[in-house]
Amino acid sequence: MTGLSSVANNRAIAPWLFSGPLLLVMGFGFIWPLLQALANSFHPNTPQGIDFTQWTLHNYSRLVDPFYGEILVRTLRISFLVTAITAVLAYPVALFIVRLTPRAQSLFILAYISPWLVNTVVKALGWTLLLRTNGVVNTVLRQFDLITVPLKLMINEIGVVIALVPGHFMFVLLPLWAALSGLDPALSWAAGTLGARPSAVFWRVLLPLTLPAFIAGLVINFIMNMTAFAIPMFLGGTRTMVASMLAYQINLISLDWPLGGSLALALLVCTLALVWAGQRAALLVVTGGRSPP
Amino acid sequence: MILVVNLLMLIVVLAPVVIVVWMSFTPTAMFVLPVTQLSLRWYREALSYPGFVDAFALSFELAALAAAVTVGLSFCAAYGLVRYRPRGQATLRAFFTAPLLVSAVVFGVAMLQFVNRFGLYNRFAGLVIAHVILVVPFAMRSLEATISAVPEELEWAAMILGRSRFATLLRITLPLCARGLVTAFLFCFLLSFSEVTTTIFMTGPGLQTLPVRIYTYMSDRIDPTVAAVSALVVLVSVAILVILNLLGGLRRLTSR
Repeated sequence: MTGLSSVANNRAIAPWLFSGPLLLVMGFGFIWPLLQALANSFHPNTPQGIDFTQWTLHNYSRLVDPFYGEILVRTLRISFLVTAITAVLAYPVALFIVRLTPRAQSLFILAYISPWLVNTVVKALGWTLLLRTNGVVNTVLRQFDLITVPLKLMINEIGVVIALVPGHFMFVLLPLWAALSGLDPALSWAAGTLGARPSAVFWRVLLPLTLPAFIAGLVINFIMNMTAFAIPMFLGGTRTMVASMLAYQINLISLDWPLGGSLALALLVCTLALVWAGQRAALLVVTGGRSPP
Repeated sequence: MILVVNLLMLIVVLAPVVIVVWMSFTPTAMFVLPVTQLSLRWYREALSYPGFVDAFALSFELAALAAAVTVGLSFCAAYGLVRYRPRGQATLRAFFTAPLLVSAVVFGVAMLQFVNRFGLYNRFAGLVIAHVILVVPFAMRSLEATISAVPEELEWAAMILGRSRFATLLRITLPLCARGLVTAFLFCFLLSFSEVTTTIFMTGPGLQTLPVRIYTYMSDRIDPTVAAVSALVVLVSVAILVILNLLGGLRRLTSR
């Protein structure tokens, strides 16, 4: 035990002793798989399997194909629409919640995050029951004679958007709520006493101060939309194919792993670029954008 | 106005989950509105369908094992980071939360190609590795906060009185972190239990977790049986959430 103790007291070695096991597991189960997919993506696929003796960029040039391009544009369009709707809705909800008592606040937040902890397949089932031709929404609308022909709310992009907005809402709401509750309440009050109307308080005080958290949340929201799987699968169907369904098809049905690897890595690079851009934007807001336009 | 937006949003967020639970009690084979009579018929149906029962057992074992491994590894790593504050701790911290930046689909593709290389495709061990990686960021965050909340003076006191650092860790720090450890375990369990996307890429028909089993069933047909199973999943999730909330863990996990 004394030997171990002297190691444990050595400030240079000890932290690595404690972090080492997790580092090893993550190196093996996280870094290696990503590198494996990266390596596979640079080799040609043959009927006998991946040909590791040859190197190629062919898998990446195949991604530019118009068929894939269409899927990518659709994925971007859906993701952008969902993030835009979320952006409009997030502030009213967050502003409402921060004005409540702490107990009511945690209840509301719990209500907003709990669906996230139920798996997405169950939520996809719920949305299917709500939105399909003879689903709850159409039945109710017809009962009240608001429509005569059932609305087509799923197996199209509308269905995917309807289900994704609430599905990923909390990724914006949580950081925004945290940022707003961290603000000194005296700020709004001070602006009010100086003659600012409530709308001016929002646009010129609250918004600029919480913009970094807001942007960070929107970036995460966008990424989650880009790579959502079960919701587009059930609400969009195969005719509304998005990038994640394409990844599934290439990897598990066509079994073309080099191409699948290149698609996955292209998605990863897009995500990381977005995170980086979001952080840059947030930083700009904090340092240079404090004076309102 | 702001109240209306909030209530509408809350309804929309909760609607899919509520409707699944509601529909699972329908007495007929079709989902017909309004549900006037309640029946447990489809629960009996679901519980006598071996595909769901086996998948539930598998998901439960997988979530428990992945959560236990993750909490164990993350507690050690978090202790190293918090108590020694090594050089490069910011890099280490970023590395441990990096799986958050890799979306589940990308990780699923990478995992598929990786497990095939090692003959782990359709194997329990492969799933455990994947689920551990997916939940590590959450465990690290909550356990770092837990350990930071233990006053270091208590550890110093034990060591001054002659305990070794390891004995101090086991006899002082670990018991004081008990609540945080339980919280982290339950949260990891819940995340693993509801993981779909990565798992779908790694499993064939022989080894399906419950969400994947529901997914394949739903691709085939949608009937009240699948609603009943889904309602049971919701029940498990809500039960764990309630315990988490009682332990006060949710606030710590959601703030920041």
